[in-house]
Amino acid sequence: MNGNAIIHVEALHKWFGLLHVLRGISFSVAPQEVLVMIGRSGSGKSTLLRCLNFLEEPSAGSITIAGHSVTVGPGVRLDRRKIVTMRLNTGMVFQEFNLFAHMTALENVIEGLITVKKVPRNQAIAMGEQYLEKVGLRDKRDVHPIRLSGGQKQRVAIARALAMEPKVMLFDEPTSALDPELIGEVLDVMKQLAREGTTMVVVTHEMSFACDVADRIIYVDQGVIVEEGTPEQIVSCAQDERTRAFLEPLRKVQHI
Amino acid sequence: MALEFKNHPKWESDPDLGMGRELMTRQRRAQLFHTLKISLVWVALVALLGVGLLGLRFDPAYAAEHYMFVLQGAGTTIGVSLASIVFATVLALLGALGRLSRNAIAQGVSGFYVSIIRGSPLLIQIYIIYLGLPQVGRQLDTMGFTQMGRLLTLTAIQSGILALSLNYGAYMAEIFRAGIQSIGHGQREAALSIGMSNWQILRRIILPQAIRIIIPDIGNQFIAMQKDSAQVSVMGIWEITYRANRFARQDSKFMEMFLVAAGSYWILTIISSWLESGLERRMARAYER
Repeated sequence: MNGNAIIHVEALHKWFGLLHVLRGISFSVAPQEVLVMIGRSGSGKSTLLRCLNFLEEPSAGSITIAGHSVTVGPGVRLDRRKIVTMRLNTGMVFQEFNLFAHMTALENVIEGLITVKKVPRNQAIAMGEQYLEKVGLRDKRDVHPIRLSGGQKQRVAIARALAMEPKVMLFDEPTSALDPELIGEVLDVMKQLAREGTTMVVVTHEMSFACDVADRIIYVDQGVIVEEGTPEQIVSCAQDERTRAFLEPLRKVQHI
Repeated sequence: MALEFKNHPKWESDPDLGMGRELMTRQRRAQLFHTLKISLVWVALVALLGVGLLGLRFDPAYAAEHYMFVLQGAGTTIGVSLASIVFATVLALLGALGRLSRNAIAQGVSGFYVSIIRGSPLLIQIYIIYLGLPQVGRQLDTMGFTQMGRLLTLTAIQSGILALSLNYGAYMAEIFRAGIQSIGHGQREAALSIGMSNWQILRRIILPQAIRIIIPDIGNQFIAMQKDSAQVSVMGIWEITYRANRFARQDSKFMEMFLVAAGSYWILTIISSWLESGLERRMARAYER
């Protein structure tokens, strides 16, 4: 798989002070693959995801996304242009949506097109409407985030990330801040993306979503990948005691 | 959300609607009565002050005769304050950006600026600019730098505006810094994730949101500045305080003239706070619309 991987991470370390959060993690993601990362809070899964687009600066290791490589280590200075390239190749969806509060839904979606990609305004608006349509919110184009429900906000945030046409989509617990009845609409959009062949890395606690959509699940604990496999392998017959202990209480509430 | 509730069919057909209406009317009446009582207290206080002053041989006729002369200084007071608040806002923004920057020079310069300005009285700063700088200018003049020497000799009005701008810029830098920092980290992360540069993030994402938060504080500083501008009277600028002072000393009518001055400042600040709250409301509307 390493030959044609779209994401390749090699020996990634992250230190917060003297706290060793990621302890030499390596993994790959194939094009069109949906990779789900699970683990307890504090396991390092979110930090790992945020390292992929350098919102968190990795302490050491190398990351390759869509053919662009960045290697970091003690004393190595990061090249800002390379980081921007990495960010343009990845789209990020946050737990707290992080929509620009002073902009309408459409303005949120076209902001990157206009300021970063320098797309002419008319063309950007046409593209923006198209992406809002894709998440089913074209009629909300002129509405500010304050007037949107949590589920709608997250769908606009997905449209904003998609509009930049990244090679990979990263989701950081995209449904954790939502009321239960709003989770479905966001998961539906994500399932649609998966069906269309979008490469996705998803940190989530939604195990039924993981079972339906994931090609592979990675269980992260204390900064290392403890176990990986297909949803059946992980959910039904996890080998590692820690994975089983993590999944056991989820079975009761999520019917997996 | 509330609007949708209002049109809800259940709400329209509620048989107990009368009870809700009555409770609301009572609540409003109580509120109105309370406001009325507060106004009465104000009236009583003003009356008490008036009676007290008259009893102590206060001369209202003298005040009435000269109040126009004092009010004619309001234009100068407003002009100096307006010019100063504009320059101060620019300085404050630069100061805040410097303090938040990762650049050592920018951080050092802005930190030093804020520290020395906040560390000395406005009056001393006025003296240094108005009286101290020309002294340096004369020195430069004798050394051959004629142009630069002349540049350092400022008129009273120029000195006043420069001193107020520098002084308020330093205090407002802290307000701007707090405003910028109050914008959630998530906004910045989202902008970074779509590839925006630091400058783009500041201009397009952070500042538009921070300004909304800062506006009431700028208004507050403007009100404070109108009164601090009284200190420029030491340079003989004919604004409200200087004019009041002239007659007060000449005829020993201190209470009369300084009350006229105080009243003039009061009126100015009331007008300013009206304008400011109007601006605030307009910005809130633009935001939610």
